[in-house]
Amino acid sequence: MNIPPEPEHSSQGVEELQAEIATLKHELEESRKSTTQYLQNVAHQLTAPLNAIKWNIEAIKDEKIPIARKKNLLSSIYSQGTILVHLIKNFSLMSNLEADHELGQFRDQPDHVSPLRLAINLISDFRPQAAETGKKIEVRMYTFDQIFGEDSLLVEKNLIAQALSNLLENAIKYSHTGTTIYVEAITRTENGKVCLGISVINTGLPIQREELEKLQERGFRGNAAKQKIPAGTGIGLYLADKVMRLHHGWVIANAKGSETRMTLLFPPERAVSREAAR
Amino acid sequence: MKKILLVDDEPWFTEGLAAALEARNYQCVRAADMTGGVKALQEHTIAALVTDIMMPPGSAFKSVESSESGFQFIEYVKEHWPRLPIVCLSVIADQAKIRFLMKRGVRYLRKGETPLSTAVEVITAVAEGRRVRVNT
Repeated sequence: MNIPPEPEHSSQGVEELQAEIATLKHELEESRKSTTQYLQNVAHQLTAPLNAIKWNIEAIKDEKIPIARKKNLLSSIYSQGTILVHLIKNFSLMSNLEADHELGQFRDQPDHVSPLRLAINLISDFRPQAAETGKKIEVRMYTFDQIFGEDSLLVEKNLIAQALSNLLENAIKYSHTGTTIYVEAITRTENGKVCLGISVINTGLPIQREELEKLQERGFRGNAAKQKIPAGTGIGLYLADKVMRLHHGWVIANAKGSETRMTLLFPPERAVSREAAR
Repeated sequence: MKKILLVDDEPWFTEGLAAALEARNYQCVRAADMTGGVKALQEHTIAALVTDIMMPPGSAFKSVESSESGFQFIEYVKEHWPRLPIVCLSVIADQAKIRFLMKRGVRYLRKGETPLSTAVEVITAVAEGRRVRVNT
C-alpha cells in the first residue's frame, strides 16, 4: 500500500497551532492574574469598612471615651455602613448587568421618580461620609425646578439611585478637603434632541483628556485617582454607564482643570408630566 | 502630653484609635499621606508613629508608588528620625514584607485582626519606651 506523502504545509500548520496555543496560554495566565488582583482588591474594599466598624464599636464600649466622642464614632459607623451597602449593591448590580438583562427583567419595573427627591434622599445618605473628610454636598434645587418642573422620570428607581450614588461617591473620594459638591439638573442637546440630566460637580483631582474616554471602562482608574486612593474597584462609572444605556441614556464626563462634572443624561421621552403619571 | 502621629488615608479607620488614645491622655496628630506625615514630624515632637502602608504619597513624594508608599515613608523616617518608635498598622499579609518591617525594628499590627484594646496597649507602650509583652 502506498502511503501518501505528508503535505508540505502540515509542519507549518503544527507550528502555527503551537504558537496559537502558547498565546492562548499566556492570555489565560494574564486573565487569572488580573482576576486574582481584582478579587484581592474587592476583598480589601469590603473588609476596610468592616474593620473600621469593629474598632469603632470597641471604642464605644471603652468607658474612658467621653459620650460626645462616641457620637462621632456612631456617625462614622453609619458612614461605613453606607459605604458597605453601596459596595455590595454595586457587585450585585454588576452580576445582573453583565448577564445582559433587559430593563424589564429586573425585579422592579420602571416607575415615576421625582429627580429632586431622589437627589435629596441620596445626598442625606452621603453627607456624613463627606463630612468625615471635610466636604459638603448641596443640591441646587432651583435647577431642578427650572429643568424638570413638575415632571418626573420614568426609570427603574433602584438602578438610577445606584448610578447617581456612584457619581456621588466618586465626587466625595476625589474632591479636595473643604470643597462643596453640587448636584444640579441640566439640559443638553444630543442627536438633535433636548435631553435632561442630573449632574454631580466637584473640585478635586484633575482628569486628563485621554482618561475621560476610558472612565466608563470596567476596572479603569485614572493615574491621579490611583495615587490619591490606592484601593478601588473601578466599576462605579462603568455600572452607571450600563444603567444609563438600559434607559437609552448616557453618562457624560466633563473635566476642566480641577472641576469635574459627571452627568446622567436621559432621553426626553423619559420625562413624564404629572398628569401623564396619573 | 505626649503626641502620637497617626498616618492613614482612611481617617474613619483611625477615628476609634484616636478616641481611645486621647482618652488616655495622648494627643493624636493625624495625616492622610506620606507628605502630611513628614510635615507633622517636622512640626511636632512625636513620641510614636503609627502608619499605614498603602496610602497616597502626597505632593512632596510624587514619584513614590502609592501601593507601597508606607515602606518608603518608614525608610524616610528611619533616616531622619532614627530614634522614633514606629508601629505599622496595615492589611498586608506578605510574610516576607512583615519580616522586613520587624527587622527594621517596626512593630506590625494587622488591621482587622488586632483588637483595638491590643493596639492601644502596644502603641502606648511603644510611646512610653516600655517593652511590649502583648502577643500580636
